[in-house]
Amino acid sequence: MIYYIVLSSVLALAALTVSSRRWVDVFSTLFFGVQAAFAVWLAAGGALDSTQLGIFTFDTLGMVFHVLMVVTLGFVIVHARQYLKDEPVGSYRRFFTLLMLLSTAITCVYYANNAALTWIFLEATTICSAGIIYHRHSEAALEATWKYIFVCSTGIAMAYLGILLLCTVVHDGSLDYASLAATIADGNPLYLKVAFLLIVAGYSCKMEIFPLYTVGVDANFAAPAPASAFISTALVNAGFVAVLRIYLLYARCGEVFVWARHVLILIGIVTLAVGAMFLRRTNNYKRFLSYSTIENMGIAAIGMGVGGAALWAAVFHVACHTLIKSSLFLQIGVVRHIYNSYRINRIGNYININRVGAIGFMVGTVVLLAFPPSPLFVSELMIFREIVASGQWWLIAVMLMLLCIVIYAVWSRMLRLNYQPNQDELHLSQVNRRLSYSALVLLVAAMVLGLWQPDLLNRAIDTIITLR
Amino acid sequence: MILSLVILYVITLIYLSITERFRNHASLIALQGVILLGIALLRLHSLDAVELAFIIVETLLFKAVIVPAILLRVIRKTKINRVRSSGSSQFNSLLLSIVALALSCWITSAMADERIDMIFFGVALYALLSGLIMIVVRQRVFAHLVGFLVIENGVFLFSMAIGVEMPMMINLAIMLDIMISILLLGMFLRKLDNNIHTDEADALTSVKD
Repeated sequence: MIYYIVLSSVLALAALTVSSRRWVDVFSTLFFGVQAAFAVWLAAGGALDSTQLGIFTFDTLGMVFHVLMVVTLGFVIVHARQYLKDEPVGSYRRFFTLLMLLSTAITCVYYANNAALTWIFLEATTICSAGIIYHRHSEAALEATWKYIFVCSTGIAMAYLGILLLCTVVHDGSLDYASLAATIADGNPLYLKVAFLLIVAGYSCKMEIFPLYTVGVDANFAAPAPASAFISTALVNAGFVAVLRIYLLYARCGEVFVWARHVLILIGIVTLAVGAMFLRRTNNYKRFLSYSTIENMGIAAIGMGVGGAALWAAVFHVACHTLIKSSLFLQIGVVRHIYNSYRINRIGNYININRVGAIGFMVGTVVLLAFPPSPLFVSELMIFREIVASGQWWLIAVMLMLLCIVIYAVWSRMLRLNYQPNQDELHLSQVNRRLSYSALVLLVAAMVLGLWQPDLLNRAIDTIITLR
Repeated sequence: MILSLVILYVITLIYLSITERFRNHASLIALQGVILLGIALLRLHSLDAVELAFIIVETLLFKAVIVPAILLRVIRKTKINRVRSSGSSQFNSLLLSIVALALSCWITSAMADERIDMIFFGVALYALLSGLIMIVVRQRVFAHLVGFLVIENGVFLFSMAIGVEMPMMINLAIMLDIMISILLLGMFLRKLDNNIHTDEADALTSVKD
């Protein structure tokens, strides 16, 4: 792991020192090569379940999300090169350096085996993301960056307070998950409840759930579209992994665990409601996709809260959402090249301008809304079945009502992009169908998972949810 | 002696809630750093040289010198001097602060447990609430930055309430993370002043739906 961190950091910082785009591309390609080689080595069982440096454990949970991050990163790098091709070299290399550092920090979050270290690397992702969000140096970017750093730092300070409260259950001050798991059942229930609230509220800024979901929307809005594809998936997954590790710890706590699951259901419903409400309200396609991320993470939180098979479905939901949402954000990057705008009420006629991209959007919308053959259909169906089995009909009713609003909002907006008359200036020379095709690959991969879940993935998720 | 320092710390929190000049905010944050050093030295009985050096760096150098210096630099560059347009009056701020203190005492008594030093716990909770109140009721973003620092100091005090001793590497990483965050916040606050010509949170409304 130490070689991985050093090599990744050196490549990222080397990209900052060069004076030509070509060299930045070389370093980013090398960086991706290192990530891919590392992920393949781990996935092949090279060091699965081993502990490195005493602080990183290559467990299945980290590995699944690491592999997904690497896949997304490859597409993000290719799209970002095209997206930023007209930018000055300084800005170009700064973007790639920060993107590489961000992915290194996220990898560390996935594999950290200590609650304090998870916290440290999540805070590090805030620092790397801030530079990416401020990339355009516009007033909106500045405002979004300020809000992002401030809210994330305050939120993560709250999470640290929760982690300190968790310390009361261990006797040697060690905060590794294994030590916590061994003693958490003896903890003071009141402290455990407060700790859970503080940690989930603090990490909500990364997982993009209620209460601190807003900063994620602002970040995605201000960052370049390929970076939004990364922030809205890999970084959100880092928040999910951090919360899931705490959730799996609490699974040993009996009565406190039941309470924690109720809290997650409540958070999930509020998050889903906020997502549904703002999907109808926003007039910007990037913010629109960000609210869709919030809606989906709300569903994942409900899945965690319901537990049982719904927990399996929640992990599967988040994994598949990574492929779908990154595909849509990359498609919206192509849209911006053509219209130089994201305004929902002004841009349109996309079906006649870039048919491949338009089809990508239409299919992406179908998949995002969990219609078959979407993998989200599988996960949402499993969550519903588990809710029915637990007899919580009120939850089914609320979720169905909110999902109806989501379906209406998403369909109407996506149809507008393709069929309403365009009112903005067009830059047709910027149409790059190869990028639209490449983003479609992620969507196809998601649909394959909807039709057929490989045994390897099933077993991996089984292992994740039984890590107790 | 520890009790005197803790009482002094509470007084700085009350004073922070009513003072209007940002220079006073910076000075009080520096004073809190010194008080935290005193508390840490008195509370931690067995300290080796490395731990002692770390605590001095974290409290005296970082909390009492570097962070206030960053604040003063921001004040100088942006010429923001006072909490001119505060969302509530000084009396209201004082009232809110006292309510927060009473609430902290009540929560502390409700959560009493032999594993936590309740005096430290109560004061840390009060610091957390004071920081949140500053962020919510003040309009100027500089006051929000001070609120964030008050929360960070509260978290430090809270770690002493728990009596947790984490490995040095983790402590160091936590300190570096926080320091970079504060540096970034200071830098972006100056950019807000230069580019948007505002230091009012109410003016930051261009990114919304």
